[in-house]
Amino acid sequence: MKEFQYIKDMKYEYNADDGLAYASPVRGVWNIVHIGTLVPGGHQIYVCPTSCLRGVVLTTAEMGRMDKLSTITVGEDNIIEGNMEEQLLHGTERIIEELPERPKMIMVFISCIHHFLAVNYQRIYKILREEYPDIDFIDAYMDPIMRRTAPVVPVLWRQMTRPFKRPESWKKDQVNYLGNCFTYGAEYCDLTALLNKNGIKTLEANNVSSYEEYISMQESEVNFVFHNTGEKAARDLEIRNKTKWLRMHPGYDYDVLEEDLCKAAELVGIEPPSKEWFENERALTDEAVAKTKELLGDTAVAIDYTAVDYPLELTEFMLERGFNVESVFLDAITESEERFEKLKVKKPDLKVYGTIGWNIRQMDRSHEGKIVCVGQKSAYFMNSDNFVNVIENAGMCGFSGIRHLMELIREAYSEEKPMREIVSIKGWGCSCV
Amino acid sequence: MKDYQTHVFTSTYTADVSGVCSAMYELGGMSVIHDPSGCNSTYSTHDEPRWFDGKSLMFISGLDEMTAVLGDDEVIIKDIAAAAADLKPEFITLCGGSIPHIIAFDFKGTAHLIEKRCNIPVVPVPTDGLKSYISGVGMALTEWIKRFADVKVQKTPELSVNLMGVTPLDFSINGNVEKMRETFEKAGIKVNCCAAMGESFESMIKLYAAHVNVVVSSAGRRPARYMEKTGGIPRVEGLPIGEAEAGKLIKAVREAAADGKNKIVYDEALEHEDWEVPGDGILVIGEEVFALSLADAINELPESERHGLKAYAIWPDVDEGLPEEQLMEAVKRSKMVIADPLYKVIPHDKAIKFIDFPHEAYSGRIYRKQIPVFATDEFDTAKLIK
Repeated sequence: MKEFQYIKDMKYEYNADDGLAYASPVRGVWNIVHIGTLVPGGHQIYVCPTSCLRGVVLTTAEMGRMDKLSTITVGEDNIIEGNMEEQLLHGTERIIEELPERPKMIMVFISCIHHFLAVNYQRIYKILREEYPDIDFIDAYMDPIMRRTAPVVPVLWRQMTRPFKRPESWKKDQVNYLGNCFTYGAEYCDLTALLNKNGIKTLEANNVSSYEEYISMQESEVNFVFHNTGEKAARDLEIRNKTKWLRMHPGYDYDVLEEDLCKAAELVGIEPPSKEWFENERALTDEAVAKTKELLGDTAVAIDYTAVDYPLELTEFMLERGFNVESVFLDAITESEERFEKLKVKKPDLKVYGTIGWNIRQMDRSHEGKIVCVGQKSAYFMNSDNFVNVIENAGMCGFSGIRHLMELIREAYSEEKPMREIVSIKGWGCSCV
Repeated sequence: MKDYQTHVFTSTYTADVSGVCSAMYELGGMSVIHDPSGCNSTYSTHDEPRWFDGKSLMFISGLDEMTAVLGDDEVIIKDIAAAAADLKPEFITLCGGSIPHIIAFDFKGTAHLIEKRCNIPVVPVPTDGLKSYISGVGMALTEWIKRFADVKVQKTPELSVNLMGVTPLDFSINGNVEKMRETFEKAGIKVNCCAAMGESFESMIKLYAAHVNVVVSSAGRRPARYMEKTGGIPRVEGLPIGEAEAGKLIKAVREAAADGKNKIVYDEALEHEDWEVPGDGILVIGEEVFALSLADAINELPESERHGLKAYAIWPDVDEGLPEEQLMEAVKRSKMVIADPLYKVIPHDKAIKFIDFPHEAYSGRIYRKQIPVFATDEFDTAKLIK
């Protein structure tokens, strides 16, 4: 079986999570440990068998943040004696008593095995909350067996906002960004620039410096979400706290970008950017794209889902502007069916690689001639040192975001990076390191 | 009562599933961990230094809730058959994490069905994700030997040994294995097989050609015991750390070959019960054979070179790991600690001298570049504790 399919032969329902799964050595994408470590004053306790603990512990050790994590191992005795609740309670108590500093929030991660043994963990959290009223206890989950119905990352982003209570009044000069590993700053995110210009600050898990500031996010009237992973948190806060929210689309369709910005302005109650501003932004962005195309010429380009949320949309955007996008690496389709079908017509021989299928393990990792890769996974599989080292959009959204991406592509074309060293680092750019 | 399960500060050792994959990595097979997810990236990131450059096959079944609840083994059978038809491995190893364990997944039966379907030998290794790599490596090697090794193969004409329990988890990929081989060969003892690094499927089949099995890691005990039972091969337990320890080991191998009896090279008095090691000494923390051999090697030094101290060893239990509270007490009571640098997170007095000795099965790749070449007669034990 070939390691890729031509897009013309694919169905929209494509999902690479089918059959035996392979793990590439590319480790830049954040996992739940990186995300959980973002909460200032927070502590994580993982309650799992040894085989599951190993990954989270070493992720934390590699970050040099073992002070933010403790573990409770599930053993054979717990399974046979059914004493998982006692173990969880007493283990957590010991951890709290022995830690040099009292955590303000504790995320207790239970695992797949707890679901199958019907462990009454909520009862334990209730006892712990009564015993330690100064600590916010969060029920968190590392249960990949539930990944088809409750994937771990979106669930964690939601659980991390559970200490947020409904405030008596909203703070009009702040909004939240939920579900972002990287800060969406004003430089490469149009929305942040617009909000800041209007005196509104943006709070996110990765830019708050204390637990008090983190909790102050509950006073924001509006939540913005840039990735699918943040949607569960936004929906939950809408139900619990009546916090309004809007899903931004960090894509490449100028009309959608404009529309998003106007909707955001309306929701927050500020003036949207002017028509002239939009026209100017479009022209500047076209200019940046043209400059990039001129430099790259017919150089092959590969794009992967670890770098951008909408790899097929970026492919379409670049193809329309004359780039030679040759391949895309993705494990599921995040774009609309309409866009997918359009792309099939536009570039039927676009190669689509799944990155977790068994058939990719022994592929010939090479490319004839130079190839510029957008993302770590495509760089690894194409064995290219000319790549854009970006994870999850890295805070880029809107016209300024596209321009920055183009700048990074030009840089990737001109300068080589030590791909092996870079892609091996877990949780690239994790701010808690 | 000891609490083996709560770890406020310390890390965890590699699990059995990674041990299985590590032991099988170079033998041309395809290892499959029956588990939801995560074990494959943990193994390929932290437990397998050969992953980036190699093309060996290791996958995860991606067990999901419905498949587990329904006990639908056809999913894994079908998935393995599909991959095997394409990749054509020499054999398939099937192990599993905690969920197959609690839903009573039938490793042997499923292996049989897969084998029937794709006509490739399948080795079932019923791990449960609850134990350390020592268990996984030991089980995998034993099952492989049961299935493939030729018990009737002719013995080598010259004295030869197998090195049992060798994986990068204990020896890394920094030249330890080559130096260990060299140590035996310099003494005129041929290394028949190194189970399982630097070998192939074909060379491993001739395991029974050796006269003595040297258990260089506790992971090698189980297959060595099996080979003793089935092929009458005596086993010698020890590691050639430094000249003195290597000398003792070579002598023990010659004696075992002559009298057919099992030997243990290190001082058995260094073994302890209940994690109670005497205070005011040098504490070595690590894999059992390594820790005992290093402690023994230190104690072989003149008293002046070991600062008048005696060395003791502590190692993790295969099923339970290390009880953190007792470990902390043992560290506090010691003058010097030789251990993986990740153990430094244990709160300790600054007067205690901490000597870094990274161990891949504990800290993974973090300190890989600092792992010394220790499994050789050339290792300078005195310099380590200077």
